[in-house]
Amino acid sequence: MSVAVEQLLQQNSARLWRARETGSSTAAAVPAGLPTGYAALDRCLPGAGWPRQGLIEILADQRGIGELRLLLPALAALCRDEGAADEGYPPPRPDHAGSAMPSHDRGSGGWIAWVSPPYCPYAPSLAAWGIDVGRMLVVNGAGATEWAMDQALRSESCSAVLGWSNPRDPHALRRLQLAAEASRSLAVLYRPLQAGLTHSPAVLRLALLGGGAEGLQVRIVKSRGGRPATVNLGH
Amino acid sequence: MAPLARPPSPHRVRATPAFRPSALVVPGRTPLAQSRPRELWLAIHLPSLLLDSLRDVALALPGRPPVAIVDLERNGRIVRACAEAVHAAGVREGMSINAALALVPGLHALARDARRERQLLEAVAQRGVRFTPRVSLEPPDGVLFEVRGSLRLFGGARQLCLRLQHELLEALGASVRFAITPSPLAALWFARTGPLGARPVFVRNRDELASRLASLPLGCTRWPERSIEVLGTMGVRTVGECLRLPRDGFARRFGQELLATLDRATGRVQEPRAAYAASERFAARRDLEPEIADTARLGLALAPLLEELCQFLRERGRGVQVIEVQLRHRAAPVTRVRLRFVQPVGAQPRRMAELLRERLARLVLPQPVRNVRLLSGPLLDLQAAAIELFAHDRREAGGNLLQLVERLRARLGNDAVHGLACVPEHRPEAAWCAVEPAATKPKARKQVPSRSAAPDESSPSVPLPLRWERSAARPDDGRPLWLLDRPEPCDVDRLVLEEGPECIESGWWDGHDVARDYYVARNPQGARLWVFRQRRETAASARWFLHGWFA
Repeated sequence: MSVAVEQLLQQNSARLWRARETGSSTAAAVPAGLPTGYAALDRCLPGAGWPRQGLIEILADQRGIGELRLLLPALAALCRDEGAADEGYPPPRPDHAGSAMPSHDRGSGGWIAWVSPPYCPYAPSLAAWGIDVGRMLVVNGAGATEWAMDQALRSESCSAVLGWSNPRDPHALRRLQLAAEASRSLAVLYRPLQAGLTHSPAVLRLALLGGGAEGLQVRIVKSRGGRPATVNLGH
Repeated sequence: MAPLARPPSPHRVRATPAFRPSALVVPGRTPLAQSRPRELWLAIHLPSLLLDSLRDVALALPGRPPVAIVDLERNGRIVRACAEAVHAAGVREGMSINAALALVPGLHALARDARRERQLLEAVAQRGVRFTPRVSLEPPDGVLFEVRGSLRLFGGARQLCLRLQHELLEALGASVRFAITPSPLAALWFARTGPLGARPVFVRNRDELASRLASLPLGCTRWPERSIEVLGTMGVRTVGECLRLPRDGFARRFGQELLATLDRATGRVQEPRAAYAASERFAARRDLEPEIADTARLGLALAPLLEELCQFLRERGRGVQVIEVQLRHRAAPVTRVRLRFVQPVGAQPRRMAELLRERLARLVLPQPVRNVRLLSGPLLDLQAAAIELFAHDRREAGGNLLQLVERLRARLGNDAVHGLACVPEHRPEAAWCAVEPAATKPKARKQVPSRSAAPDESSPSVPLPLRWERSAARPDDGRPLWLLDRPEPCDVDRLVLEEGPECIESGWWDGHDVARDYYVARNPQGARLWVFRQRRETAASARWFLHGWFA
């Protein structure tokens, strides 16, 4: 093996993905994710949660099967972290127990941007999930959803950016992925199931299927550092 | 009878304090302190205000004919001012336009424009705001600056005057005359009489005033024509001669008013001046020659106007939240571009230009632009930017959000970005509202655009309905995550009603009352829906509506 590759491996960069190291042994290579709130899903994801860097694609055709509920525990956790960090100043020193969730204390503004959602997110319901409704930013980015997401990701003021769009242009997706990679925000793009057939640079792609007796079925189509799997989350 | 003031005998002009008449000494102040007045007024007189105010109109005339300004308000069409060349040809102020035309056949008559005159005067006053906080207007053609405190800062009276003169001529095309004296009225009188371009009159001490004023002709006082005429018949033609008249006789003959002006001019009586409050808006225009058809170059053409706006804001230490750019075309209606900032923005030309560029890039011009205007909204106080010793990311991030919102709005429109807030209400569509993002305290920005508007503030607030207990620990139960803007009619045949009914009957007080039975339903694809049936209809004819998704 050449010296350059050796050096690269020794740096043990988070961005370096080693194909050989999958499953449980990736803990070192893949940075800890943001727990999804669904233990069954966490087990199948490298980093045991939503990847904090890079684009997440959620592919779903139907509404009302739980496509939003999938994210809400994580969003609520983000709001809680921001709230906790707001109360204490200087920010509490991260102890060992808290080190599982890195980079919270650096704070990324704590806003959650909803870019071009199909309907308006219902505030009372979000509040019931423990989400700070006062930190929602709803953007109707008709025709410019990717641009608006890109701006939100770059601004570093949002801890999560959710977008609803199906970019046809692979470059647009690529740009979005790069912005998500560079940003500390959780970046989620909702696309139709059909989009799962084409390539995407996203780090995680989940296809959602409802309808069966077992409730919401999450199929991991692509997971960097992980393996395809199917998880049943129930009703 | 006491003379009005000291006689203006030359040998007493520079009187030592011992010779000063006691009448001029204000009790409680030493003569030395009095000779150094607390105020020094710089008067600016615009001798050719009428011409200057219409200069750009005159320059725009084809062939640049000689111009004269006429008063249309009077039937006589009297010449009020004329260009130098026309004056040389024998045209004088007060001449009828016909007589002037006979002297100068190619003469172009322009009607005077009081609004433009006032604007020019205010523009001069606004320039002065940078030199002193105390600026006062003396319509129609004078402006006063109190410069006692700023003389040294600007390098003395002469430097200050040179600088002002240069600036006013450069920026406004206004020729001006100056005088600096301890009393505002005397300064005005000197400024009105001094020759153009000569060294400005500078009187530093108050006790010099009367003697220096003595030689001025009475015309500079702008007293009523009648009074000046009468004084003339008495052989009184200068201020000095007037000052020598007995006070009570003068007051009886010409009124207390005129005596009071004399007292104010000589500094015997202090004259309070009304401070000029700078115009609260900014407006500037620029003609584009040649016309501009592409938006990128338009952005460049607007840059000087933005710079001007920022200078305007810098001088006042204030900010704007709204700026409007008007693009005028040859025939098409004016294109307006409104930029709205989340917070008042001070002098930040780059930020404005960036936002403007974003906005212009999306603009489709109906025609090339021949003229641009930049208008500001009302001026607002800038929020003092607290510079924290331990400034921390988070605070920066808050600023980032404002800029994000601004950028998004510049491209997507003002209504495209909003925040959320809960409203304590029974009716689902009224239980939330859109708010201005980043407002620390959520404040309703607009009502929910739905069939049932949210109640106004006077309506009683009702606590949220109690939810029934469910075994499954899903906190959203009872309320969907997606709420449709308007309930859509739906077919309930293929749905399985899982929960319900939950009766919501409310809103009778504002005319948007609802009476609905809500059910949680599941469709064959496994999606959970929130549907309702109107209560007031009989069960058989009841129509069903979809109101939300349990996403």
